[in-house]
Amino acid sequence: MGRLLRGGLIAGAGVIALATGVYFGLLQTPDMERRDGATLLALSLPNAAGVEQSLSQWPGKVLVVNFWATWCAPCREEMPEFMRAQNEYGSKGLQFVGIAVDQADKVEQFSKEFGLNYPTLIGGYGAVELSRTLGNKVAALPFTIVVDRQGRIVHTQLGQLKPDKLRTIVEKLL
Amino acid sequence: MDCPHTLPGLPPRPPRISGHRASLVLALVLAAALPALAQISPLPPEKAFRFSARALNPQTIEARFQIADGYYLYRDRIHFSVEPAATRLTVPPLPDGKVKEDQFFGKVQTYRGGLIVNLSIKDAKAGDKVVLVAESQGCADVGICYPPHVQRVSVALPAATSAPTRPDEPPRKSWFN
Repeated sequence: MGRLLRGGLIAGAGVIALATGVYFGLLQTPDMERRDGATLLALSLPNAAGVEQSLSQWPGKVLVVNFWATWCAPCREEMPEFMRAQNEYGSKGLQFVGIAVDQADKVEQFSKEFGLNYPTLIGGYGAVELSRTLGNKVAALPFTIVVDRQGRIVHTQLGQLKPDKLRTIVEKLL
Repeated sequence: MDCPHTLPGLPPRPPRISGHRASLVLALVLAAALPALAQISPLPPEKAFRFSARALNPQTIEARFQIADGYYLYRDRIHFSVEPAATRLTVPPLPDGKVKEDQFFGKVQTYRGGLIVNLSIKDAKAGDKVVLVAESQGCADVGICYPPHVQRVSVALPAATSAPTRPDEPPRKSWFN
């Protein structure tokens, strides 16, 4: 009985580990990894002031491109961590860029209130369709893409990019 | 005692007295883990928030959202309209939702499971087809939100003569017959 109980517990622990791994990693899209980021980097969108900004203006940097919106609670939740990471790794070559699936006035107000320390561009609702072409199959938010210094997409994540995971990914690239 | 090996993921064998506790542990663990496993792929919004509509009579359309487990819609982000624009639609106050305390948006009302709303239409001809347009916005418990999503359903209005009588009502008699 002892052996069987132990076997059951081990099996159970395995299932929990698998389920937890699936749960927290469920929204990442490994099939997108190490793809050419040319389409993304060719993107040009206005900022809240209406000035067009190209994603190619940060060559050689590690880019974290985050699709978000002011109406998206999980998006807002993870942004303080993005700001911390921008502070911590910015001088080492990390650059966060937001793409807001939102209206310019709302984004501007939010950025000021929040003290956002990285640029965010205005994509409107069309941006979510754009993100679909970059691996966001269900067109939901938040959706984050990490691009290495060579312009390759190394990670895409639907749902929050948890702090530990973000740091693990980014530290390897810097 | 010689115990047979049980592979993880397989249903436990019929319990023997000696294996009872282990089987129970495994079953409990599986039961706890399955909801997480079931959420491997988030649903696209049209499947998370299935929208349908039908005419109850020439003046009333029943609009229905079927909301998948683990997903919810915001009450104040549901809007209905009808095409052609010449048709007038009256939307009653939506039923109370479940109050959710959101750290960013304060108290918000959400719907889970489903929502049924009866909408009144005017200036449509019985026997016509109209298109009911529903805009909604919701999220999933796994921590993703969908942009406002528009769904359209074509609804055939019944001919006026076949309308108002409910099957459980006796036919109404006129005093003059």
